[in-house]
Amino acid sequence: MSSLPDLVNFERVALRYGRGPEVLTDATLDLPQGSFTFLTGPSGAGKSTLLKLCYLSLIPSRGLIRMFGKDSALLSNPERQAIKRRVGVVLQDFHLVDHLSVYENVALPLRVSGQSRANYNQDLVELLQWVGLGHRMQAFPPTLSGGEKQRCAIARAVIAKPDLLIADEPTGNVDPVIGRRLLRLFAEMNRMGTTILIATHDTHLIDELDARVLRIEDGRVFTGKSA
Amino acid sequence: MSPAMAQIPQEAALLPRRVRNARALWLVLIIMALLAGCALLLARGSMRLSGDWQSQLSDTLTVQVLLDETSEWEQKTRLARDTLVPIFDGADIAIKSQADARALLKPWLGNAALPDSLPVPGLIDVTGQNLNIEKAKIALDGAGLATNIDDNSRYADQLITTARRLVSIGIGTLALILLAGLSVNIFATRAGMTAQKEIIRVLVQVGASDQFIAKLFVGQAFRRGAIGAAIGLGLSAILWLALSLMGDWGGLGWTEVSEGAADFIWLIVLGILFAAICAAAAGLTATRQLAYERKRL
Repeated sequence: MSSLPDLVNFERVALRYGRGPEVLTDATLDLPQGSFTFLTGPSGAGKSTLLKLCYLSLIPSRGLIRMFGKDSALLSNPERQAIKRRVGVVLQDFHLVDHLSVYENVALPLRVSGQSRANYNQDLVELLQWVGLGHRMQAFPPTLSGGEKQRCAIARAVIAKPDLLIADEPTGNVDPVIGRRLLRLFAEMNRMGTTILIATHDTHLIDELDARVLRIEDGRVFTGKSA
Repeated sequence: MSPAMAQIPQEAALLPRRVRNARALWLVLIIMALLAGCALLLARGSMRLSGDWQSQLSDTLTVQVLLDETSEWEQKTRLARDTLVPIFDGADIAIKSQADARALLKPWLGNAALPDSLPVPGLIDVTGQNLNIEKAKIALDGAGLATNIDDNSRYADQLITTARRLVSIGIGTLALILLAGLSVNIFATRAGMTAQKEIIRVLVQVGASDQFIAKLFVGQAFRRGAIGAAIGLGLSAILWLALSLMGDWGGLGWTEVSEGAADFIWLIVLGILFAAICAAAAGLTATRQLAYERKRL
């Protein structure tokens, strides 16, 4: 695995919000292509911030981030958008669009990349059935439970078969059965070549797979579950 | 075809069709379109009026035959008319009576009785097209007649200048209204982007380009502009029609169906322009706003 090129490289990356203290300090990490990585650590340690840097939602205060081999600071706008289309993201607060149905929410990455509905409809319906939302395709997010919203967000993140999947507590709101099913989905995607980075508190989830673990504490990144 | 393929749902609009507090914007757009329509119709009416005045005045002239004595009136006036007939072939040439000629002096001399010995000039009205004044002057001089030819140019210039000012006012007002429409749409797009920041955030996250997002607002603004224009300009057409039917108000209204039809085509062009301005304002604003937000990141 280590012989494959890195999809993401952080070199001494730091981030502070405004004039506040650094929430991430000298973070150095790499995500080799095809790797499966858990990111763990206490609440407020900087996991979500690190993920946001990975999907180019934040710009570091200092340090170097390389995405798909390119320095993120030097990316043109089209390059940045092209990279974002290669990254699937599942956030803690889901970011679903309330006036769009579950089907439409999940279809968003495909619509944005210009695919025709006839091309993706069958895959999309199958994926929704697989994540247990087959009967809720035409429902709107305000009517979904927390678990359903989470599955909808996951389906949206994986529908375009991204090269890199970033998930923030993806099983936090689902029952253990669905949680295991989602983990199987991530493992299957990883087997097919998708690089996975999952931030989680759930040690059971981490124990389910033989995957690399990065630990973040006080804004610094370490390898392994505990110090 | 699988069951799933058989029920492909229609693509939903990414921006919500119904937006809270949009009524005020609709009202503003409709009023602006109504005012723009009235300004256009005023400009078009003024153009027609200017053309009418110009053609009416250029097609008439008055020949004054200057007399030394009252007794010469009939002989010299008839001689002048007979001289003009071959010059203005096909034109309507009519001698005004002495009484009519005397009546024309009343504004200057009041109601006092004029002495019979006052040699009031003989007047000949000529109505026709392409009246050659120079040729008439030479012929009248050749006949030994002392004459003045009044081709109304003094009044015509003033009237045409007035009509042109009306046209300028109409076009200027129209331009200002369209500029205001542009500004309103810039403001509305900014407000719309603030209201829709969640969907914009999601679209940015899934890799939508600025053009993709801007197109959503362009489509929304074009639809809004087109509907607003259709209602506002339709109302202006109804208003103009009602005013035309209510009677003569300076010749600005429609007197013929062809005039109304021509103005209707102009209103359609204005409607398209109005919608296009709304769309362009939205596109530019959305693109700039997205670039600004990215810089703020």
